[in-house]
Amino acid sequence: MKQISVFLENRPGRLANLLKILKENNIKVFAMGIAEAGNYGIVRLILDNPDRAIEVLRNMNMAVNKSEVIIVSIELLPEVSKVLGEAGINIDYAYTMDGRKVVLKVSDEIKASEVLRNLGMEFIV
Amino acid sequence: MYKLPKSEIEEIQRKRLRQIVKYLYENSSFYRNKLRGIDIDEIRSKEDLRKIPFTTKDDIRDNYPFGLICVDFSKIVRFHASSGTTGNPTVVAYTIQDIENWSELCKRCLEIVDVNSNDVVQIAYGYGLFTGGLGFHYGAERLGAKVIPASTGNTKRQIKLMKDLGTTVICCTPSYGLYLAEVAKEEGINPKRDLKLKAGIFGAEPWSENTRRKLEENFVENAYDIYGMSELNGPGVAMECKFKNGLHIWEDHYIVEIIDPNTGEVLEPEEKGEMVVTTLTKEAMPLLRYRTRDITILNDDPCDCGLNHARIMRILGRTDDMLKIRGVCVFPSQIEEIIMKTNGLSPHYQLVADREGVMDKLIVRVEVAEDFKTDRLTDLVNIQNKLEEELKDALGINAVIELVEPKKIPRSEGKAQRIVDLRKIRGLL
Ligand SMILES: [Zn+2]
Repeated sequence: MKQISVFLENRPGRLANLLKILKENNIKVFAMGIAEAGNYGIVRLILDNPDRAIEVLRNMNMAVNKSEVIIVSIELLPEVSKVLGEAGINIDYAYTMDGRKVVLKVSDEIKASEVLRNLGMEFIV
Repeated sequence: MYKLPKSEIEEIQRKRLRQIVKYLYENSSFYRNKLRGIDIDEIRSKEDLRKIPFTTKDDIRDNYPFGLICVDFSKIVRFHASSGTTGNPTVVAYTIQDIENWSELCKRCLEIVDVNSNDVVQIAYGYGLFTGGLGFHYGAERLGAKVIPASTGNTKRQIKLMKDLGTTVICCTPSYGLYLAEVAKEEGINPKRDLKLKAGIFGAEPWSENTRRKLEENFVENAYDIYGMSELNGPGVAMECKFKNGLHIWEDHYIVEIIDPNTGEVLEPEEKGEMVVTTLTKEAMPLLRYRTRDITILNDDPCDCGLNHARIMRILGRTDDMLKIRGVCVFPSQIEEIIMKTNGLSPHYQLVADREGVMDKLIVRVEVAEDFKTDRLTDLVNIQNKLEEELKDALGINAVIELVEPKKIPRSEGKAQRIVDLRKIRGLL
């Protein structure tokens, strides 16, 4: 699954501005996670049209990046994190998606997909 | 003639200093005024110079156009001028002897990087009121080299001349050098393969080691830095030797001091400050302790090339651009170089000076690159920490790094506004 991440200054109104731009361009937000460090942060988003979002946001002079994540159900999370850990795959960060799913950024998503597939675990890539 | 032992250079300096002070006292009402209350017989060495007040660019402008001239008007053979953005231009007058000395110094500059009578020297500095074109012209001609007085502009013709006449030495500004290389490539010419440029002599604007690398990769075999200004004759005041580690300043014609631009205090060698120059041989318009407003470091260590003339380091910036933080002089150029080396950042930055309690604080605001390649916060934190560390190493102060969104730093005429001094705005200075 494609995730986009946007660099934002940690100031009032910056997140609202980002969401407004997405909305104006009819881009739907499925999940969102925010990480901040002092005066700035990164907003990570799962969207219905990540490629168009990148184009739109770059046109607005925003620093945007694309990366691969995997999504699992929240019930499976204890098991998933255990097997990934055993396979030496790190979970760099995670955030929830509509209350029942979790977006995971792992250190090696190809290997992670393989491990989960072999164990017959359900996930979205 | 100029490859002298240090002791002989110093002897010449002392002799000429005594002569020039006496000469100015006798021939210049401006300097007679400046030297009032000073026993001129006591000015015998570089150290004694400290008793004399500085001369500034404003002094030259305020006495426009002839106030600083100390020869009979019949002896003047030339005027050059550098334009000011406001008010009077800075006009400099020359006698025949001044032109003679200037030519000799320009010849030396070319000679120490092995330019000789077999070379074809293309001069792409402006000929005219600006001293660049004519200075190099005299120097190269005096060496017996073949001069192409191309002047500036008409870039395609410049490249054609280089190719057809077999130019071996190009003299121009570093930015024009980079542009020539670019246009050559567009014309299907690979300068390093198709041209014979063994040396490029680049001056008239400050440049960096980064630029040297680019020029030597794409344009000339060896890129050298040269320094000068019309008030001090023109180009040829100081020049890099083949070791490219500082510019030798011709100490038999100039005395250099480095001062703290805020206090006027003379600094020790290896300390960074404003270069102040006393001319020892100029006739029409000699200058005592002239404040160049250029920031550099003086190095009097012996050089591997064998010349005993002291070296100045590359010009780090102008005093006008300087920020003083906790007593440390900080220049945008130093910070820019560090930012440019850091991946993930754009070259747009702003320096904000503020005060927290009684302590100065420097905030460096840098835009992240639009295509920054990370979704991980730790990568950004690492960039920030690395930048903080490198600035601490290079400047000796703790700067606060603020990463900001692209295009957030205000631009004026396409250039970012580099310095904001809140201490001034708040009346803290
Ligand atoms: Zn040398």
